[in-house]
Amino acid sequence: MTHAVVEAQGVSRVFPMPAGAVTALRNVSLHVDRGDYVAITGPSGCGKSTLLHLIGCVDSPSSGSISFENRDVATLRESERSRIRLTRIGFVFQRFFLLPMLTAAENIELPQAEAGVPATERRQRTRELLEYVDLADRAGHLPSQLSGGEMQRVAIARALANRPALLVADEPTGELDDTTGNHVADLFDRVHADGTAILVVTHNSALAARASRRLAMKSGSLMP
Amino acid sequence: MTSFALAWRTATCYRARSALATAGVAIIGALLFDMLLLSRGLVDSFADLLNTSGFDVRVVAHEGLPVLRGPIHGGGRLAADLRLLPEVEDVTLVRIEDAVIPGPADDLKNVTVIGTTEQGPRSAWTLLQGADLPRSGTTPDRCPLIVTRHLADVRGLDPGATLNIRIAVPGTASALPQIACRVVGIADFAFATANEYAVATTMSALEAADTTRGPDEADLVLVRSRSSAGGSAAARAIVRVRPDLHAYSNEEVVSQFNQNGFAYFRQVSVVLSSVTLVFAFLLVGTLLTVATNQRLGEIAALRALGISRFRIAAMLLWESALLVGAGGLLALPLGGVLAWRLDRLLRQMPGLPERLHFFVFNSSAIVEHMVLLAATAIVAACYPIWLAARLPIAETLRREVIG
Ligand SMILES: Nc1ncnc2c1ncn2[C@@H]1O[C@H](COP(=O)(O)OP(=O)(O)OP(=O)(O)O)[C@@H](O)[C@H]1O
Ligand SMILES: [Mg+2]
Repeated sequence: MTHAVVEAQGVSRVFPMPAGAVTALRNVSLHVDRGDYVAITGPSGCGKSTLLHLIGCVDSPSSGSISFENRDVATLRESERSRIRLTRIGFVFQRFFLLPMLTAAENIELPQAEAGVPATERRQRTRELLEYVDLADRAGHLPSQLSGGEMQRVAIARALANRPALLVADEPTGELDDTTGNHVADLFDRVHADGTAILVVTHNSALAARASRRLAMKSGSLMP
Repeated sequence: MTSFALAWRTATCYRARSALATAGVAIIGALLFDMLLLSRGLVDSFADLLNTSGFDVRVVAHEGLPVLRGPIHGGGRLAADLRLLPEVEDVTLVRIEDAVIPGPADDLKNVTVIGTTEQGPRSAWTLLQGADLPRSGTTPDRCPLIVTRHLADVRGLDPGATLNIRIAVPGTASALPQIACRVVGIADFAFATANEYAVATTMSALEAADTTRGPDEADLVLVRSRSSAGGSAAARAIVRVRPDLHAYSNEEVVSQFNQNGFAYFRQVSVVLSSVTLVFAFLLVGTLLTVATNQRLGEIAALRALGISRFRIAAMLLWESALLVGAGGLLALPLGGVLAWRLDRLLRQMPGLPERLHFFVFNSSAIVEHMVLLAATAIVAACYPIWLAARLPIAETLRREVIG
């Protein structure tokens, strides 16, 4: 037993392509502990997103193993992985991916409804989260009525909805200007301070600087 | 937030797409509904027509349908025998002749003359003007006539007018003398076409007018069964006592016509309904597939957030059901209006009884329409669901960011 929320051991990821296999990750080992805040940086194409997808249980390594809260992910069925993503992992995407037909509050309620949280509890939690990301007054607004920064804050609230152990974020400030990006970074600081582990992949050095551990990647490997 | 709620919100969010799909399904569904009405309409209408005649068994000399004219001798005796059967309530003899109505300018040829022994109110025609045929022996009239509205219009006849007719003997130039008849009433004949010249008179009048045929000869015997026995039992009882004759209940006549005469309509309607279903499937399937392809990033993100494949599949299925359901409901009034117009058009075909319809409303057609469209909605959702279910999450998320 370890204190790691997630642990990758010697993982590689090879994408077989007609024009020749692409090795995106080579023998990478990484652990994210409870309350950890890890930032991964590196040049474009070095394998950051590929690693994040493995850690986030949306992809499987070609070799090596990933264990999430001491369970070997390779042995789990897709439905069990889906359950882990729903209740233990929160995803934040560069492009937000809010459902355009749902209001901010409904977007935050969606993963809770999927997890079977009763309606009254769900609404209470959604109110808290909207206040947490400072958007209490925008609960009834559709994503199209929000700015990029506001959308990303709603997306972070959605990722936190089921109180995950780990928040994974791929270029969360990629679509935002510096000031707005800083607001999002502030929010990450708060999430971290409140005890949620964070793994963020970013080109934004200001955001990376806030992490407690910064890892650099190059050509599919983590730099020592 | 249920899958249905998500589907509903998607349908209302992408209004143009939903409106397009709904309108398309409504138009296609209207055609489907009409084909379903057509597939049984003529048969239902024909059965209705037979039943309104008030008789439910037809007795003829020759086997096979449609009923061929062939003389049944000793009609009076036959009628008396049949009336004795416990299954039989009433018997009427019918004789049908061709006649000519001589005119000042033109003779009217191909006039159908029907002679009937039926007493009391006749159900084969609806009286518009004047009186019905008198009961036998109650009138000095040698030849009382009921004429079709069309004939009355053409010849300017009113009740009380005199009309000369001459029975035409098949295969020979008519040598029979013409007789002067008196129009007692004008009626719509259930079995006559809109512009047919038909007249009805009493059996005794027709026998007197046509001396070439033996007296007491009938072409058709109509029998009303007792309601406790029913038409089929009465038909069996009749054949038992008169094995030389053929008796058909209305159900048998309808089912034989259904197999022979109307099979063509059923086949046409099956082919056309299948084509309309394929169109509905292609329309909804294409729109949903395009929409799903546009939303792959969104769907991959939902899957990354732990929303199950099942939930996403249910959402797409509901979306399909909503579009097809809304279109299918709109299709009913639209199809109804279209059927009404088409029916009027088709009934202008010559040689059809005026009361016969091609499109007849029936509730089982609505049920079939709904079941077929529901099946179409499910089939149309299959490919988009398959797309969404097998979607590689990581690869799709990456592609969405790069794109
Ligand atoms: N699904 C895939 N199929 C083929 N090749 C892939 C796939 N996913 C990633 N790769 C390849 O793996 C390598 C690493 O890609 P990855 O997206 O992880 O890079 P990255 O570090 O996130 O880059 P960026 O900073 O531009 O987002 C690249 O060479 C990429 O082309
Ligand atoms: Mg990347």
